[in-house]
Amino acid sequence: MRLFSRKDKNQSPGAEEALGLFLFEAVNDAIAAERALKTAGYDVHLVAPPPHLRAGCDLSVAVTRVEHVGAERALAEAGVHVREWVNDTDGTASICDLVTSVDFGEWLMVRAGNMKIVVEKASGVIVNTSGGGCPDIPYLNLELVGKRVDEVPRPKDLGYTLCGLMLDRAYVEVRSQLEGGDVA
Amino acid sequence: MTLLVVATYPVVDGPVLEGVVTIEPDGGIAIGGTRVPSSQGTSAMLGAAAQVAAHLGTPAPHALVAGDIGRGDGTRHVYEHLVEVAARIRPSVIAFHYMQPVMALMRRAVEQLAESVPDTLLVADAGGMYAAKAAGLANRFELMTPDVGEVGFLADPAVTHPAYVSHYLFGNEGFDPVVLAGRAHETGGAARVLLIKGVRDHIARDGVIEAEVDDPCVPELEAIGGTGDTVTGLASAFLAAGFPTVDAARCACLANREAGRAMGATPALHARDLVAALPGVLRDNLCRWGGACVV
Repeated sequence: MRLFSRKDKNQSPGAEEALGLFLFEAVNDAIAAERALKTAGYDVHLVAPPPHLRAGCDLSVAVTRVEHVGAERALAEAGVHVREWVNDTDGTASICDLVTSVDFGEWLMVRAGNMKIVVEKASGVIVNTSGGGCPDIPYLNLELVGKRVDEVPRPKDLGYTLCGLMLDRAYVEVRSQLEGGDVA
Repeated sequence: MTLLVVATYPVVDGPVLEGVVTIEPDGGIAIGGTRVPSSQGTSAMLGAAAQVAAHLGTPAPHALVAGDIGRGDGTRHVYEHLVEVAARIRPSVIAFHYMQPVMALMRRAVEQLAESVPDTLLVADAGGMYAAKAAGLANRFELMTPDVGEVGFLADPAVTHPAYVSHYLFGNEGFDPVVLAGRAHETGGAARVLLIKGVRDHIARDGVIEAEVDDPCVPELEAIGGTGDTVTGLASAFLAAGFPTVDAARCACLANREAGRAMGATPALHARDLVAALPGVLRDNLCRWGGACVV
């Protein structure tokens, strides 16, 4: 399966099959790494590490082995701490992309996986967040509820876990539905 | 008859708090006299559990929590104190709630608790449930309280977090709690009893549905953060009071729904509004639902 390609480079045939993983101490390090690598021109994917490398709430970044050295340097320059590089990608899993929505009339609720965000349509104010079970979810609830959806930081920039990352997907979708177009 | 809730609260570097849970006059939650922020999550769970204990006249819930905003630091502090606290207060039920899902920490805690408080029933929801399932310990638990999406996670032996649940479990009509409860039991991903929260709540024992609750139907509850946590708090408190587990789960579903109806739920209300409605709901209905009549 072709997971990704680097758009600004010519690849040799089959290069997309030779993947490795950056592993991190925390989910937000992986999110920061994804951001840094995309900024540096890499087109990467966030994936679950293989089962034998998981601790519980894990996220890793897949990159071609041939680009490992350059990508690691880009991460170091961005100040992102990498725990480990592994050549083995067998058993990785993609993040759930099941997104659904419910129209409550005055309010719109979007679910991404088991995370939910609810926005008052007229004002754009976030009135509720729910779902998930990691400790950043109550924190995000306090940080987001009562504020306009287009004025708060993205959940993935405030949160630290996979639950926060899933809430970010709901956030992106609710903004897309209310405003139209993609969210940066 | 004591419930011990093991969890975190959303404050950066918040200290370990341990003690009896009280509901303040304004509806806020305090642990050992120290207030914690009111949000969805464990404060909602504690509020609901405290209302049950107040109604039944059983000991107020006891909590062991620490500040954690997702970095896992507070979770680690809580685990460091867990065995000592459990050995001291001898709870009948320990409920793991919002915690960083770290398999190794959960594994060690369950092993130690089995030695120090072997008769204590274990309940898990939220990150506690994620860690227990991912660590292969789900069948050591008496009760788990997943929502419909999370039961897909429990039924998927390959994944360690709901964010990675497999699409094939979603089906054409979404997650099927009846099928997935059985599958979770067969694959070792379920507690003995599952309370599956949804449009229709399902309660399964050993993989078989024992009860369903769908009345009153209050769709707005799904949009309100913390209304799943209140179900967990209700069920945990009923269980600690001595209710059989399936009855505890069923009464929790009924009370949560009735409180949602009584509060006039809209997507803009909050879990604390539901907690405030519980005394009247329990007073007017619990005797009829569960035979737990308080004179």
